[in-house]
Amino acid sequence: MKEKLENIFKEAQIAITQATTRHDILQLKSRFLGKKSDFSSMMKQLGSLPAEEKPAFGSDLNILKTRISELLEQQDEIIREADYQKAIGRNTLDLTMPGRKRERGSLHPITRTWQEIEDIFLAMGFEIAEGPDVEDEFHNFDALNTPQDHPARDLSDTFYINDDVLLRTQTSTVQVRVMQKHKPPIRIISPGSCYRNENDASHSPMFHQVEALVVDQGVNFADLRDILNVFVRKMFGERIDSRIRPHFFPFTEPSAEIDILCIKCFGKGCNLCKGNGWLEMGGAGMVDPNVFDLLGIDSEKYTGYAFGLGIERIAMTKYNIPDMRLLFENDIRFLKQFS
Amino acid sequence: MKISYNWLKDYLDFDLKPAELGNELTFAGIEVEGLHYPGKELEQIKIAEIISLHKHPQADNLSICQVNDGNSTVQVICGAPNCRTGQKVALAPIGASLTGFKIKKVKLRGEESLGMLCSEKELGLSGDHEGIMILPEEAPAGTNLATYLQLQDAVYDTEITPNRPDLLGIYGIARDLSALLKIPLKQPELTSETIPEKIENHLSLENQAPDLCTRYTARMIKGVSIGESPHWLKNRLLAVGLRPINNIVDITNYVMMELGHPLHAFDYDKLEGKKIIVRKAAEQEKFPALDEQTYTLSNDDLVIADEKKPVALAGVIGGSNSHITGTTTDIVLEAANFLYSSIRKTAGKHLISTDSSYRFERNISDEMAEIASKRAAQLILKIAGGRLLSGKLDSYPDPFKPPLVKLRLSRITRLLTLHLDEKTVKNHLEALGLKWIKSEPDTLWFEIPPYRKDLLREVDLLEEIIRLHGYNNIASVDHNQDIMDKNRFYTRRKLKSALVDHGFSEVINWSFSDPDYLDKLKIADGDPRRDLVKLKNPLGKSFSILRPTLIPDLLKNALYNINHGQKDLKIFEQAKVFTRNDQKLAREKLRLTGIMTGHSKPVFWQDKSVEVDYFLVKGIIEELLELCRIDCPDFIPSTQAYYLQGQAAEIIFKDLNLGSCGQLDPKIATDFDLDLPVFLFDLDLERILEQVAVVDPVFREIPKFPPVLRDISFLVEHKYSFQAIRNKILAVNPDYIRKVDLFDEYKGDNIKAGFRSLSFKLVFNSSTKTLTDEFINDIIQNVIRKLESEFQIEMR
Repeated sequence: MKEKLENIFKEAQIAITQATTRHDILQLKSRFLGKKSDFSSMMKQLGSLPAEEKPAFGSDLNILKTRISELLEQQDEIIREADYQKAIGRNTLDLTMPGRKRERGSLHPITRTWQEIEDIFLAMGFEIAEGPDVEDEFHNFDALNTPQDHPARDLSDTFYINDDVLLRTQTSTVQVRVMQKHKPPIRIISPGSCYRNENDASHSPMFHQVEALVVDQGVNFADLRDILNVFVRKMFGERIDSRIRPHFFPFTEPSAEIDILCIKCFGKGCNLCKGNGWLEMGGAGMVDPNVFDLLGIDSEKYTGYAFGLGIERIAMTKYNIPDMRLLFENDIRFLKQFS
Repeated sequence: MKISYNWLKDYLDFDLKPAELGNELTFAGIEVEGLHYPGKELEQIKIAEIISLHKHPQADNLSICQVNDGNSTVQVICGAPNCRTGQKVALAPIGASLTGFKIKKVKLRGEESLGMLCSEKELGLSGDHEGIMILPEEAPAGTNLATYLQLQDAVYDTEITPNRPDLLGIYGIARDLSALLKIPLKQPELTSETIPEKIENHLSLENQAPDLCTRYTARMIKGVSIGESPHWLKNRLLAVGLRPINNIVDITNYVMMELGHPLHAFDYDKLEGKKIIVRKAAEQEKFPALDEQTYTLSNDDLVIADEKKPVALAGVIGGSNSHITGTTTDIVLEAANFLYSSIRKTAGKHLISTDSSYRFERNISDEMAEIASKRAAQLILKIAGGRLLSGKLDSYPDPFKPPLVKLRLSRITRLLTLHLDEKTVKNHLEALGLKWIKSEPDTLWFEIPPYRKDLLREVDLLEEIIRLHGYNNIASVDHNQDIMDKNRFYTRRKLKSALVDHGFSEVINWSFSDPDYLDKLKIADGDPRRDLVKLKNPLGKSFSILRPTLIPDLLKNALYNINHGQKDLKIFEQAKVFTRNDQKLAREKLRLTGIMTGHSKPVFWQDKSVEVDYFLVKGIIEELLELCRIDCPDFIPSTQAYYLQGQAAEIIFKDLNLGSCGQLDPKIATDFDLDLPVFLFDLDLERILEQVAVVDPVFREIPKFPPVLRDISFLVEHKYSFQAIRNKILAVNPDYIRKVDLFDEYKGDNIKAGFRSLSFKLVFNSSTKTLTDEFINDIIQNVIRKLESEFQIEMR
C-alpha cells in the first residue's frame, strides 16, 4: 500500500511541476484529489479496513493529500508570479497620451451671475419671486408712484404692446405683485428680464435685473446699508466696499444709487471706472409710503427697503467683459470661457 | 439612568399610566429612550411545591420531581443539588419564555420534563446559579412570581443631560415632576435616634486635600447585623439595574439611586489607627479595589486612607481591605463630595466607571452629602439595626452660600413672548426649590438651592419658566412667506446643469423676434404659436414680435458659430416664449430648447468619431425627464413640418405633450443656411415642471441572491416597436424579470426583407430564493410563447 501511495505522489509531482497555467493546476487538482481520483477511491476503501489498520492508513492518506496540496499551491504561486511579471512587461503605457475626457458645456455668464446672486440671498433667508415680462401700466408705473406724465412712460423709453400693456422696464413690478398677494413680513428677490428702448455698446434692449424687497416692522436705512455691504462683499470679495449716493426714484424715499469700489484699481482710478474709483451697480431706497398705501399695507406699522441691480453690469464687471453685445452674440468660444 | 415608576410613587401621588408619565418626563427635558416592564417575564413563572422527588434512574445528578403548581401536578426533571421535597420553588411552565430561551417539553434520558425549576440567575433576580431559587414556605403555590415578589413595575431608560446632576436620583426626578405636574412632593425620612456615645471618641478625620475633597462627612453605627436585604429593597435595586449584595451595601446604593449622592460604608474594625485621612496618593502606591484588581496610583489620585493604607479610591471605588462583610458589626458611613474634574481624571486614567464616579464627575452638591448620610443612617437603623453614635465628622472648608439670581418679567416677554405675572413666576420657580427673596419693579430675586448648580443667570431661570410652561405651548410666529416654489426653482437649475454636464453651452437671446421665421419653419396657420404678441414700437421688423418658439434663435446661433469655424455644437436655451390670449397680458411659458450638430463627443484617439444622431438626442431627453422623475414617456412619430419625417418624435407622458425631438428637415436647415444635419429638442418646460413629482427615493431591499442573466435573439417584423416588445417581456413575469436590455439590432443581408433581428439581455432576480436553471428556462419558454403569439417572432 505504502508503495502505491508513493507512486501516486511521484506521478503527481512530475505532472504538477510541468504545469504552466492556472487552468492546468485546477485540472491536476481534480485528477489527483478529485472525486474520481485514486486518492478518493482509497479514502472510500478506508471504511472497510480492519479497525487496527485504519489509523495508520488514514494518516498516510492524509499526509499524501497534504503533500499534493502543497505542491499544487507552490506551483500555482510560481505560475501567478510568472503571469504577473509578464503583465508588467506588456502593459507599459505611454502615460502622456490624452485621457478620456468628457466635454463640458457652460452656463451663460448672465446665468452664472444670476445664480450666484440668488445663492447669496437664499442663504440670507430671501425667497425668489417671479413675475411676467409683459406687464400693464399699473404694475410698471402707477403702483410704483410714477406719475402719468413721467418721461419714463415715453415710447422712446418703453416698448408697448398696446396703450396699457408694455414690456416691463424694471423688475420692481414684482414688488407690486408680491405686496398685492402677500402680507408682510416680506423678504424676496426677483431676478428677471427687463426691456428698454435703447441699443448700444453699454445698453441692450433686453437686459436682466435683480430686485430685492424687504418689508417688516422696524426695517430701516441701516438694514439697507448692511445688506448692500454684505452682498457686495460676497459677490466681489472682502475688499470691495459699497457706498450710496442720493438719487431719485419715484417709488423710494429716500432714494439712492449704489456704487462699489472699482474691483480693478480699488479706488485709485483706472480705465474700468473711468478714473473715479467707483462703479455704479444699481438703485436703492426705502419704500415710499405712497406705494404701501396704494397696496393696502399700513405704512405707519411697516417700513421696507428695495434695491435693484443690473445683472449684466455685475457680470461684465466680474468677468471683465468689455462690450454688452458679446453677451448676446452667443459665440461658443465666448460661452465656453465660463464653463 | 433607569427610573422606576413604583419608586417615583413614594414621593408623588400621581395617577398617570407609565406611558403617560414617560411623556411628561420627556417634555420635562428627561428624555425617555426606552420603557420596559421588568416583572413582565416573571408573570409567567408560577410558585410550585415539590411534592415528591426521586433520583433519575439513568443519571445520578438529575432528580425527577413531581411539582404542584396549585392547579395540577406535573413532572419536572431538575439538576440542581438543592431541591428537596416540600420546598416552594419557581416553576417555568411549558411555553414560558425567559431571556434567551423558551421552555419546551423535553425528554431527558428517557424521562419527560414538563417545565423547569429556575435559579435566581435564570430569573434575572441575582447572579446566584448555585441551585434553584427556594421560596419561603408560606409562598402560595399557583401565584405568579412577579406578583408574589411585587416585581411589577415600569422602568424608564432616560438620558440625563450633563447640566442636571440633581436628576441623578429618583427623588430629584420626582422634585422636577412635582413642579411640572403641580403635585406636592413627599420628603424621605431623615431622622434617627442617636445614642449618647460620640463619634469623636472612636474616629478622627483629617482632610489633607481640601481643594479636591470639598466635603467629607462620616457617621458611625455600631452593632449592625449584616444580612440579605428585604425583598422590597432588592426589587428596587434590581429595577434600576443594581445587584443586591448585603443590607448595608444595598442601603448605600439605594440612597445613591434615591438622592443621587453616592455613599460608602467602611468596616470600622478594618480602619487602622481609627483615623480617616483624605489625601493624595503616593506615587506607585498600591490599592486593592473591590473589583479584585490592584491599582497603582499616582500623586494626582485622591484616596481615602486610614493611618496605614488607602481604603478607597475617592469617589470611584471602595477597597477590598475595608468593605462590609458578613462579620462586620460596626460601620463608618462616608458621605462626601469631590472635585468633579479630579474624579473624572482618576476614573478615566484607571478605566473604572462606577455609578459613584458617574455622579461625582457631574459636579453634584456638597450639601446633599449630609442629607444622603442622614437618610442612609435612618435606613440602616431600620433594616440592619445597630446604634447611631452622636455627632458626625465633617470637613467642609468652603460651605455653600446660595447665589442670588434676578429675573425680569419684561425679559420673559421679550424672549419667550409670554406675559406672566409675578405670582405665576414665583410659583413656578418655588416649585423647583428656588426661594423668592425680594421683588423690585419688573424684577424678582431668587435664591438658588444647592443642588441646582446649573442656575446661575437670568437666562437659566427663563429656561426653567419655559420648561414648566411647556415648550409647545408657545404660539409660533408665522414668518413663512411661501412665495417661492422651491421644487420648480431647483428643477430648472438641475436641468441646466444636466445639459452642461452633457457638453451643452447655454445661450441667451433677446425675446424679440422676426415673424418671418415662423414661415421659414413652416409652422401652420392654426398653430397656437401663430397667436403673436406684437410690439407697437419695435426696434425694427426683425424685432417686432415676442418669440413664440426658441428654435429660430438657436438656428441663428448655430449659423453664427459654424460661420466662425465651430461645427461641433451643443447649445441650449431656457427661456420664456410668448403668445397672445384673451387675457390682458401675454401667455408666458418656459421652454427648454437645444440643438446639436457635428461630432457627438470630443476626439479620443482610441475611438472612432461619431456624428450626433436621433438616439443621442433621445437619450439626453430621457435623462432630463428621469431627473424630473418622469419615467418612460412615449416617443411617437412627429408630424411637425420642420422635422425630417421618421427621424423625429413627440414626447408624450400621461396624454400630455412634453415636447419633441429629432432631426431638423434638411430643406429647412438650408433655409437657415445650415448645410449639415441638425438635431434638436424642444421641451415644454412649463408642463414638465407641473409634472415633476416631489418624491424622495424610497429604499428597496437589495436582493440577497445574485442576478441571473440570459440572452434571447429573434427575428421580428419592422412594424412591431422595440417598446411594445420590451413591455411584453417585462409583463410576462414581473416578479422575477427585473430588467430587459436591448443589446443588438441587426438588419443585414441574411435577414429576410421587412424583418430585423433583436437581441435582448434579460436580468432575473428574486428577493426570496436562488433561481434554478429549470425555473428560468420555464420563464424563458413562456416569454417566447407570448412573443410568438403577439409578434410572430422567429427564434434565431
